[in-house]
Amino acid sequence: MSDSLARGLEAMRAQMDTRVMSYMSSCVHCGICAEACLFYTETGDARYTPIYKTEPLRKLWRQEYTFWGKLAASMGLSSKLTEQDLADWEELVYDGCTMCSRCSLVCPVGIDIAYMIRKVKEGLAAAGFSPEGLVEAGKRAVEIGSPMGVTLKTLQATIRVQEKETGLKVPLDVMGADYMCLLSSGEVAGFPEFIGSLAKIFKATGVSWTLSSDYFEATNTGVQLGNSKMAATLLERVVAAAEKLQVKYVISPECGHAYTTLRWDAPNIIGRPLPYKVVHIMELLDELRRDGRLKTAGFADEKLSYHDPCNAGRRGGVLDQPRKLLNMVAPDFVDLPETGAMNWCCGGGGGVSSNERADELRLQVFSAKKRQLDAVNIEGLVTACSNCRHMLEDGLEDNDMHDIELLGITELIADHLVEERS
Amino acid sequence: MFANLVDGIFWDVALWVFAIGVLWRILSIFRVRNKPDYSEPRGSGFAGAVGANLRRFIPRSEMITRTRLQVVAGYLFHLGLFALLLFAAPHVLFIEAQTGLGWMPMPYWAFIVAAQLSFIGLMLLWIHRVMHPVTRLISDADDHVAALLTFIVMLTGCMALIEQFDGLRVFHRFTVELLMVYFPFSRLMHAFMFIPSRAFTGAWFGRRGVKA
Amino acid sequence: MSSSKRSRIRHHRMVVFSLLSLLVLTLVLPLIPHAVAELGESTGRVANPGTELWRDVRQRDRSIVGATQVKGVDSGVLINVHGEDWRQFRMQQLIPYGAALMGIVLSVILLFYLVRGPLRMQGGASGKKIQRFNVFERTTHWFTVGIFWLLALTGLVLLYGRFVLIPLLGPDGFGLTASACKEAHNLFGPMFLVAILMLFVTFVKDNFYVRGDFTWLLKGGGLLGGGHVSAGRFNAGEKIWFWIAVSGGMVLCVTGLILDFAVLGQGREVMALSHVLHGIVALVVITVSFGHIYLGTAGVEGTLSSMTTGNVDEAWAKSHHDRWYAEVKAAAADADETEPGGVASPAGEG
Repeated sequence: MSDSLARGLEAMRAQMDTRVMSYMSSCVHCGICAEACLFYTETGDARYTPIYKTEPLRKLWRQEYTFWGKLAASMGLSSKLTEQDLADWEELVYDGCTMCSRCSLVCPVGIDIAYMIRKVKEGLAAAGFSPEGLVEAGKRAVEIGSPMGVTLKTLQATIRVQEKETGLKVPLDVMGADYMCLLSSGEVAGFPEFIGSLAKIFKATGVSWTLSSDYFEATNTGVQLGNSKMAATLLERVVAAAEKLQVKYVISPECGHAYTTLRWDAPNIIGRPLPYKVVHIMELLDELRRDGRLKTAGFADEKLSYHDPCNAGRRGGVLDQPRKLLNMVAPDFVDLPETGAMNWCCGGGGGVSSNERADELRLQVFSAKKRQLDAVNIEGLVTACSNCRHMLEDGLEDNDMHDIELLGITELIADHLVEERS
Repeated sequence: MFANLVDGIFWDVALWVFAIGVLWRILSIFRVRNKPDYSEPRGSGFAGAVGANLRRFIPRSEMITRTRLQVVAGYLFHLGLFALLLFAAPHVLFIEAQTGLGWMPMPYWAFIVAAQLSFIGLMLLWIHRVMHPVTRLISDADDHVAALLTFIVMLTGCMALIEQFDGLRVFHRFTVELLMVYFPFSRLMHAFMFIPSRAFTGAWFGRRGVKA
Repeated sequence: MSSSKRSRIRHHRMVVFSLLSLLVLTLVLPLIPHAVAELGESTGRVANPGTELWRDVRQRDRSIVGATQVKGVDSGVLINVHGEDWRQFRMQQLIPYGAALMGIVLSVILLFYLVRGPLRMQGGASGKKIQRFNVFERTTHWFTVGIFWLLALTGLVLLYGRFVLIPLLGPDGFGLTASACKEAHNLFGPMFLVAILMLFVTFVKDNFYVRGDFTWLLKGGGLLGGGHVSAGRFNAGEKIWFWIAVSGGMVLCVTGLILDFAVLGQGREVMALSHVLHGIVALVVITVSFGHIYLGTAGVEGTLSSMTTGNVDEAWAKSHHDRWYAEVKAAAADADETEPGGVASPAGEG
């Protein structure tokens, strides 16, 4: 057996838990998961069937935990998991899956397929079968502190621009602040107004916050790759930065996967409870709204809708908050068909957008999102994830849908803030 | 001779293999090491576990059009089968003879209707499995054997309905014994495993405040 | 002699005379009808007093239903007078002619295959595929096939089993088999109605007459030589088969339901008639299905895949259903034009 396969098998073996065993015993191969997955529905390619994408894990389970599998393996009969299998599944798992978990919501026997995809990635990554673009992003995340190579210097430059534009100070390394905010590189590079918007909102609502110069990256390439060691390394930096500044909360910015990682997976990846609470920026804004601290005036005049980022909404549980916030500023609001927890993935999450090899595929499957948008006549689409926003931009451009403006929710709220008399 | 075996030792073996096999399969999922969940829940995992078990019986509205054949045929088959298994008069009498527990069987016409709906569901599902590119790709021998065996059990049962020839009853019981021995080692375990699976997923989403 | 003595003697004479007269009358009177009968018929036969009754029971002179206190259909009819006719029809005509029909047609098909061979695609397979039947159409077709063959085989056992299977299984074995087949046949019968209705709804829209159908028929569909003939999605032969299958299927279902559920108020005559119709139509549909199966498998190269994978070679489409092929190509071209991304519809496995 080659080293690569041995590493892959060992990594996947460590992933076997009761949930996986239960799921593997339940699947009846009904194919309903495929009908929920945009990579299947928009391409017609049966190989993107979600449960089929977990085939390497299933094969390992079968040959090591089932009667027929063990019997066949001992007689040299069955098709054991091979290195070729791992190689063949790389494209299906990394290009053809964003771990959006829409499949997990529709399986009649209750299988959380996305949960298992994450585990398959551990095997593929350990065996060395991950997309080059994503591997490079991981290296940058570990070495530079950002998968896109955004350095502290770049961040500081961006902060200065935002401070100039808003006339407000963006706090950096404030000891004892209540909230430490993380940022996704995508935001810093593409939508820096987010930072300015935070400054405006927190000033108006009197929130004590800070950024950290030690570590500011919200996203976790380790999770996208399926490399738990890398994921833990990156998360320990967040914990260290938060502990150093003695903050009570860490804010997960406009991002989907960052939220599930920081809020829900982090304590399990590092193996202990977190010394702080984690909130999505939308959760915090909604809390401020409920407390009456967040006041807005005026309304957006465009007809707007909202795209639920899969990992913030369906997989993170932040579903009501954006709508309550939009209720304040968008009187002409309409939900997309098949929205909320059943929203269609933008197609770019989970590392897919960092993987150049998947560019053509993710644009092809954008037709699912296009179908949703075509059903409503909107002028603006609001979202709460910078990666979704990039993907939506690409998709709208590719489909010549120039009439729809893309908006970040924090910025939209900030634009309608009632200014405090200083 | 064969009848004596089928009514005697074969039945005992089948019953024990089934009971022990099913129990072993269910308990064996707990034989792996599990990591605890340190995250702070937003909602109740228990409520999510129970909720998912109930909610997943009803397909989501977004999925109904795409999956109408599986849903309709699936329900025809399963509901018909449960009706046959538990409320067909010959079965009720059999169970009463074996366990002492008896209940009101369904009338003859209801049996016929249940059997027909069950057959329609099973045949449509299996044919669709072979015809649809997704299920054609992901199906394996286990799926086909399970479907065939179930079909044969149902067919032999119906062939023996008028209880005129003991040979037909014996053949039906024999196919049932084959199914019982096959059951714990196959996909048919989903009949039990769907409960913990839905529970785990429901709990996971429930902790996040999402109704799964 | 005194007058009282003369009265007593007269009285005695009257009594004796009366008794003697009574004796004579008693002996003679019953002989009168006999004498009359003797005078009327000089054949020597004795008339059976029950003759009238049984003449009516056998309904020899007229159709008559008796009155009875027993409540039920047909209870006024003691003997089904057409029963023997029906039995004779089944044994002497339905069974042998049915076997002959099936045997002859099978032989003709075999001969045709050996002599003519399979029909091939013009120019051979191109390697490019287009979709002919989608998942639901194929599922409906094979669902109907499954039920049809289960019914056909069990039905044929009911009709021919005693000749073919008793030698093999013995009378007890055959009894068991026939009982099993009858139960299965009765159970699956109503399901066939569901299948036929599904089949009808799924395929009817392309099975109506269009211009060119008659020409296709006149040219024999190219089966007997003369090259390929133009056709739409379904040619005239396929359409004829569709309507035979559906109408035959409906007759089978209706007569089958009459036979299966004997409690609906039908009498024995209705049942016998239904059985005759059921048997004839079943044998006809089975026989025609041989042709359908032949053409769908060995008879026309490249056809079977239309019902298995759903796809056919473009050369097959061009050869056998050129007008349908042109429509499909035109629709695909339209779709390409309106799609900004230019995403072609995936033919693939679909």
